[in-house]
Amino acid sequence: MSLHELQRRFAASVAGQHESTDLDARGMRVYANNYRGQLIATLRDTYAKTRLWLGDDDFDLAAGRYVDANAPSSWTLDAYGLGFPEMLEADYADDPDIGELAWLDGALRRAFGTRDAEAIGPEELVADDWERVAFVFVPSVRFRHLRSNAVAIWSALANEVMPPAAICPDDGRGVRVWRRDLSPQFASMDAGECACLDLALAGATFGEICELLSRPYPSLRVAAEAGRLLRSWVSDGLIETLRQE
Amino acid sequence: MPVQSPPAFHGFGLGLRVPHYADFIATQQPVDFVEVISENFMVDGGRPLDIIERVRERYRVALHGVSMNLGSVDEVDSGYLRRLRALARRVDPLWISDHVSWTGIDGFNSHDLLPLPYTEEALDALVANVSIAQDVLGRALVLENPSTYIAFADSMMTEAAFLSALCERTGCYLLLDVNNIYVSATNHGRHTDDWLQGLPLERVRQVHLAGHSQGRDMLIDTHDAPVPDPVWDLYAKFASRLGQVATMIERDDHIPPLGVLLAEVQHAREIAASSARRAA
Repeated sequence: MSLHELQRRFAASVAGQHESTDLDARGMRVYANNYRGQLIATLRDTYAKTRLWLGDDDFDLAAGRYVDANAPSSWTLDAYGLGFPEMLEADYADDPDIGELAWLDGALRRAFGTRDAEAIGPEELVADDWERVAFVFVPSVRFRHLRSNAVAIWSALANEVMPPAAICPDDGRGVRVWRRDLSPQFASMDAGECACLDLALAGATFGEICELLSRPYPSLRVAAEAGRLLRSWVSDGLIETLRQE
Repeated sequence: MPVQSPPAFHGFGLGLRVPHYADFIATQQPVDFVEVISENFMVDGGRPLDIIERVRERYRVALHGVSMNLGSVDEVDSGYLRRLRALARRVDPLWISDHVSWTGIDGFNSHDLLPLPYTEEALDALVANVSIAQDVLGRALVLENPSTYIAFADSMMTEAAFLSALCERTGCYLLLDVNNIYVSATNHGRHTDDWLQGLPLERVRQVHLAGHSQGRDMLIDTHDAPVPDPVWDLYAKFASRLGQVATMIERDDHIPPLGVLLAEVQHAREIAASSARRAA
């Protein structure tokens, strides 16, 4: 048997896709257990709050289903499990808190090692033509809409206090995640901020963001509301630079 | 690119793991070097790079990888090598090590150190990848003997002969994991003396000392327990023959308080000193 064929069969056996009859079963059991154990341990580590929320048994069943369906391809285990929140959302469609909690776990983990970037301070919020200013966010910024109170549940679990019961206000709120200096952060957002951040991350200008805000707010309040959002993004360290379009 | 040999470095160290980062950064610990897992620091930014730079301010660092996939029929991943080279430029390590094993093929990565048959074909594949890696990294690699749970009927040479040929053909050096020798020899029903026979000890630049556990059918290289007596005994047996090498304790799981591991480092020092006195 060629080395290529041997390694192909060995890998399939390790991943549980094919039982090789020409390799010693006792030894292959060790490699298969190592493989599965390592991947489940990685999911437990990355999605630690989700595991607390689901309980060990249900979490491990879900992790096992994920491992069965998703063989790793990257050299880094940091890349393993990126699709786990999505799988949980599908598996627990009536309990959006579970998938959303996993998304928050995963986003905070990914923020940990993203490229360093210095955020601008309030004194750098200067532009000749605000209408045409767009924003470059620090690379760790991620956001998503939420249907549940997953942020409150995550915070309670992190603080080791009794988490609230899961509810689904489904009111358009969301959460943003980023890294400030060395520490991953997150913050809840109301529906308006979600829509504005979504637009800004897609490259919209300040003028276009104001236009979006003119729908829920009377014209006199649009500038004040846009300014409030912008100041909060800057004071939280979300913006790397301003870009004149 | 010219390939640089690892320095002759004699000292005793510890594999640095997350629970002990703060201890190592805050205070000078009684070690001559630390070894870190390369992949944990091959990131774009953030805390991992801050940690490695602060560790480097106090200690010599060896970079130890688990994902170079050198024994695969696939060519070694150039993106991986570029990231490792960037880390090496940042850290200026004593050396870069990885394993005589493979981790994946055809886009699959097992994240485990899988065994090679000791054949000319496997040696050719390994030599080709080690040569590429050494060219990109600009330095000779230090490669570790694996723990194995399977032996291949196709193997035409002993592990020692395979490692010897690898060193000869690539100019690489060896990281001798004493626990792995014990685990592999025991699992395959061999005596450790036979396992060591023909190993080019003059190529060894580093020694790992670790623990294992008893699985259902064989010993498992779990690195989750203190170094056991048979591994200490084996180390004592040939420590004097190794000359100037770096020796360290490697614990990856069930990590105890730092003092417990430092006591094991001290025990390794005492064994090495005693072996040297006996040899003198």
